[in-house]
Amino acid sequence: MSAMSPSERRLQKELMSLIKDPPPGVTVDAEQAEQNLLQWTIFMEGASGTLYEGERFQLQFKFSNKYPFDSPEVTFVGSNIPVHPHIYSNGHICLSILTDDWSPALSVQSVCLSIVSMLSSCKEKQRPHDNAFYVKTCSKNPKKTKWWYHDDSV
Amino acid sequence: MSTTSTSEEVKDNTSREDEGDAPNTKDEDKSNENLLECNICLDTAKDAVVSLCGHLFCWPCLHQWLETRPNRPVCPVCKAAISREKVVPLYGRGSKKQEDPRNKVPPRPAGQRTEPDNNFSGFGFGDGGFHMSFGIGAFPFGFFTSTFNFGEPRPNMPPHGTPQNMEEQFLSKVFLWLALIFIAWLLLA
Ligand SMILES: [Zn+2]
Ligand SMILES: [Zn+2]
Repeated sequence: MSAMSPSERRLQKELMSLIKDPPPGVTVDAEQAEQNLLQWTIFMEGASGTLYEGERFQLQFKFSNKYPFDSPEVTFVGSNIPVHPHIYSNGHICLSILTDDWSPALSVQSVCLSIVSMLSSCKEKQRPHDNAFYVKTCSKNPKKTKWWYHDDSV
Repeated sequence: MSTTSTSEEVKDNTSREDEGDAPNTKDEDKSNENLLECNICLDTAKDAVVSLCGHLFCWPCLHQWLETRPNRPVCPVCKAAISREKVVPLYGRGSKKQEDPRNKVPPRPAGQRTEPDNNFSGFGFGDGGFHMSFGIGAFPFGFFTSTFNFGEPRPNMPPHGTPQNMEEQFLSKVFLWLALIFIAWLLLA
């Protein structure tokens, strides 16, 4: 407990505030996160009034010991991967704050909020155009992808 | 969280007694306390500095961030330009020594984060989100062709996410070195 690294210390704080005051539709598997602060599972519900209403998704967050200077590795996991123009069928998410635009002032909560709003603003459920190619050729870690952020509107 | 004015922060500072490190995260209910938290480690700011855009950090935290992305020093909160010279150290009433925290850095080892694609100092592209491989077209073997694909999407594949091909990167570096050696040999011969 006393020998917490700076990243674990910050993650512990984030976990506490996420448990206490989660964004709407977002829940964290607190037990799992407390056992291993470097890997969290987060459940996300599709917001009502959006194309994803009634759906439930599962996100995995992996943190390195350089967090928050290094961005978390965030992917959708489980059986229901949202069908969205910026989400690949393997769960990888094309979202600039997860790589190039990451900042240590961002948090698990702000990443969740970005993903919720990305889902909520979607007008047509479809996979990215290059889904088949990407899923076949990508690295397991989405942070190794050189993303081409071409569209911030969806 | 970012709209707090500096004068309010100072006022709150005098009205509460907080000695540095709060060992416990449990009693953070009062939203006032957040005003003095570092925007990076979320602890009460130690060796506090404020950026010109008004954002509070521990100097060690901010320093580590500046080291992490030396090419693009921006405020973590608002993305305004930021630099070592342009932050203001804060000295509370109780602080014994008014030593500029920037003079006793780095207290922690700097985070060394090498960007995967940016190893060539001579070719400063690669930062804008496109993939570039480099080769020498005039090299005496047919397959050494230059491939540049920035600006234009690839014809049959929208460049949504371009998987980074490490092998290709490695090969193009090898070819580049070969080419440089070849050119040097031409010049010296
Ligand atoms: Zn700090
Ligand atoms: Zn700022």
